[in-house]
Amino acid sequence: MCEHGKNIYMPHLATIEAMRDETSDIRSFRLVFQDEQVRESFTFRAGQFAEYSAFGAGESTFCIASSPTRKGYIECCFRSVGRVTDALRSLEVGDTVGVRGPYGNSFPIEEFYGKNLVFVAGGIALPPLRTVIWNCLDLRDKFGDITIVYGARSEADLVYKHELKEWEERSDVNLVKTVDPGGNGPTWDGKVGFVPTILEEAAPAAANTIALVCGPPIMIKFTLPVLEKLGFSDEAIYTTLENRMKCGLGKCGRCNVGNVYVCKDGPVFTAKQVKAMPQEF
Amino acid sequence: MPKMITEQNLRLLVDTLVKEGARVVGPKQAGTMTLYEPLTKGDDLVLDQLPRRSAKEAFFPVCETILSFEKKEGKTTVLDVDVCAVPETVLFGARPCDAAAPGILDAVFSWDYKDEFFLERRRRTTIIGLACTKADDACFCTAVGLSPADMKGSDLFLTPLEGGGFSCEAPTEKGERLMARYPQLFNETDNAKPLPPAEPAVEKLDLEKIKTWLDGNFESPIWNGIADRCAGCGACAFLCPACHCFDINDEGTADKGERRKHWDACGFGKFTNHASGHNPRDIQNKRYRNRIMHKFKYYDDKFGQTLCTGCGRCIRHCPVGIDIYEILDKIGSGH
Amino acid sequence: MNRAEKLETAIPIDTSCYAAVTDAIRNEAARILSDGTVTAVVGYKAGRRAGTTMPAIVTDPEKAGDLIFSPACVNNLALYLTKAKKDVVKKGRIAIVAKGCDMRALAGLMGESQLKREEVFIIGVVCAGVKGSGAGNGEPLTTGNLARKCRECTVHTPEGADLTAGTMPSLPELTPVEAREMARLEAMTPAERWEFWKEQFSRCVRCMACRQVCPFCYCEQCLCDKNRPQAVESTPRPAGNMAWHIVRAMHLAGRCAGCAECERVCPMDIPLNLLNRKMAQEMKELYGFETGLQPVEKGPLAEYKDNDDQSFIK
Repeated sequence: MCEHGKNIYMPHLATIEAMRDETSDIRSFRLVFQDEQVRESFTFRAGQFAEYSAFGAGESTFCIASSPTRKGYIECCFRSVGRVTDALRSLEVGDTVGVRGPYGNSFPIEEFYGKNLVFVAGGIALPPLRTVIWNCLDLRDKFGDITIVYGARSEADLVYKHELKEWEERSDVNLVKTVDPGGNGPTWDGKVGFVPTILEEAAPAAANTIALVCGPPIMIKFTLPVLEKLGFSDEAIYTTLENRMKCGLGKCGRCNVGNVYVCKDGPVFTAKQVKAMPQEF
Repeated sequence: MPKMITEQNLRLLVDTLVKEGARVVGPKQAGTMTLYEPLTKGDDLVLDQLPRRSAKEAFFPVCETILSFEKKEGKTTVLDVDVCAVPETVLFGARPCDAAAPGILDAVFSWDYKDEFFLERRRRTTIIGLACTKADDACFCTAVGLSPADMKGSDLFLTPLEGGGFSCEAPTEKGERLMARYPQLFNETDNAKPLPPAEPAVEKLDLEKIKTWLDGNFESPIWNGIADRCAGCGACAFLCPACHCFDINDEGTADKGERRKHWDACGFGKFTNHASGHNPRDIQNKRYRNRIMHKFKYYDDKFGQTLCTGCGRCIRHCPVGIDIYEILDKIGSGH
Repeated sequence: MNRAEKLETAIPIDTSCYAAVTDAIRNEAARILSDGTVTAVVGYKAGRRAGTTMPAIVTDPEKAGDLIFSPACVNNLALYLTKAKKDVVKKGRIAIVAKGCDMRALAGLMGESQLKREEVFIIGVVCAGVKGSGAGNGEPLTTGNLARKCRECTVHTPEGADLTAGTMPSLPELTPVEAREMARLEAMTPAERWEFWKEQFSRCVRCMACRQVCPFCYCEQCLCDKNRPQAVESTPRPAGNMAWHIVRAMHLAGRCAGCAECERVCPMDIPLNLLNRKMAQEMKELYGFETGLQPVEKGPLAEYKDNDDQSFIK
């Protein structure tokens, strides 16, 4: 009698329902599970990630970039930088990908109820916050002020441009968009400067506010002191760690930072937790 | 009641099991070395050598297919691997350092998500351990809390007797069942004395003290020099009975291929390399630190166990003579 | 692996000069570290287990006394002067303990502009031989446990070093093992040879020890790690294993200095140096080229000559 459970490495099959080029090398997919039952039962929380496969090339790890409040599909966003992402990029609408997940912990959205939110993102690190942003916007009356500070190297490098516009137009969101000096074209109507500097200028109030920060290590490094200066405590700052992963299941041994397995204990951490880790990420 | 088995009957047990269709794995001559390999006859069993690679591959193979995929007329299908096809297995002659390791690995392969490839092989395998009567200068099982006569992890345990044959003890039900199934092969003990167990020439390590030191010394300057000479290969990890890191890769094409899980090593430069090019463990010292930390701190933090059984393979075969015992001894004695 | 093939009654090899070599290394290391000639000395020191040694990087003149030379000093330390070991190289001007055979690798690295002669201080050591794999740590050096490469050594006394320590003793007569093994392979049909290597490579677990210890595998991006496109399958299976070892042999053709480190470190005992030697033989037959002790700017596979053999184009 065989008592084994299911194969934890088996992906669900999903169809690429739509895709969009966010930048010249960053693309997003909207994926719909092929199995009706999975379509119904697949739930996740903002901040969780998945393993996406292009069959024949392998699996790659990205966050689920859509909001858990939007049912029936998931979205992801990736830059073509390797074998798997190249293969994913070569797929077309209607093609099949594999999806394993959701994995990891999530942003404790319920704990943010009644608070103001400040999102700080850089470059391709908007997707892990975009899931939270839409999650919160879909439950808009549960939160206070919502501020989004988002920057990229240049105008062309901003992702989700159409949504930036949408957020800009909403009266219940304060979007501050910026590009690095030299990255602005003649029609640029946002700020020019690095994210930490622009955040300091925007100076969101720290009282009763949660900050959610995602970006390249260098951006995080310079953003944390700014938040501290603005009065944010380390417990009120959330970020995600983006380590290289393979299994996503706490087994293959490469994503750990000290004894913390990013795939299981993360990817969402408070600044307090991150500071307590060995500085090896 | 302990029993005994003659060497002839032990080999006969292999033959019998093979005939019955079981997968029998044990130390076997493979070119210039011995390896734990499938046995087709009892005579192939080598009883006086520690195999070059550990016995973990009976549960966690060097490379295994975890699924296959196919695209036909535009439709992709994914085929599961039937782990029920794993045959009943008897692992013969596992040395205490090898027999103890799979039980330690149960923790990582079964916490939360269950890796059935590993676990089903565990369920279907009976481990026949074999006490060591000789040790070499790299052996250090006694330093990490095991011993050449330790039954940990064995379902049936053999101790060589003076004048030949082995005494058999069955610490688990699985072992008892195996003995009960072939009563004609096991005899009552005739009070023959067991050969004295080997005595590895090392002092016991204070693992608790080492752990405490590791807890507070991630940034110690000791790491800076410790692995300057490390060449960054995976020999230590691949011979280790307890290293469990792996990689997953697709092979074939989008039209037809397999997804495979295969051994990986934290000593490899690309192991933690991000797609962006950023590498959290960018130099060999950091990678070697992770090796020590994983075995003697992280695994303990997570699962309350040490990820090392003192088999000494990493010491014996390190191309540049890195000696994990020496490092641990240094740490444990306050260097 | 030599164990199974002990050819002759083991005759002791006189290594008494190694004590003098050790003293000379220590004195020179202490001197050049103290006077600032170099910032580090790459040599050997004793391991915890009696009779073993390991590479050592000494920066403190007080620690020069740790350095030794013995029949267990098997490593080719040239590895530590390559960009694969950046952490060592960045320590500054380095001295290296080199046996005659190691000098070939240094010359090769200089030829490939990986190293400048004036950047390195070479402490050459005379060498009667080192132990082969399978030799017991406690055993003295004999004609029975000598490393295969040493049986055919022609460079017992290194040339071109900044200092050469020791005086070479006379050696007993040695029968070559590797040459005999080469002849055995040559006598096979291509199909038999293919089977031989298939069997050998089937054991490969892709630990990459062969690559990691090779002084000439200093590529920052190894072809076998590349996956856009993937040239060599990364899993330890027959196809990828075969591809990897063939690629490796080709990339080392005309470059390999014959130190046989790849073969020594292989935990699966794959006789990799046979491949390297075969390639060296081809280089000699096709281009009259031999890797030697003088830096050569370009190997035959890195340049084109009108009279190159083209008979392979069919």
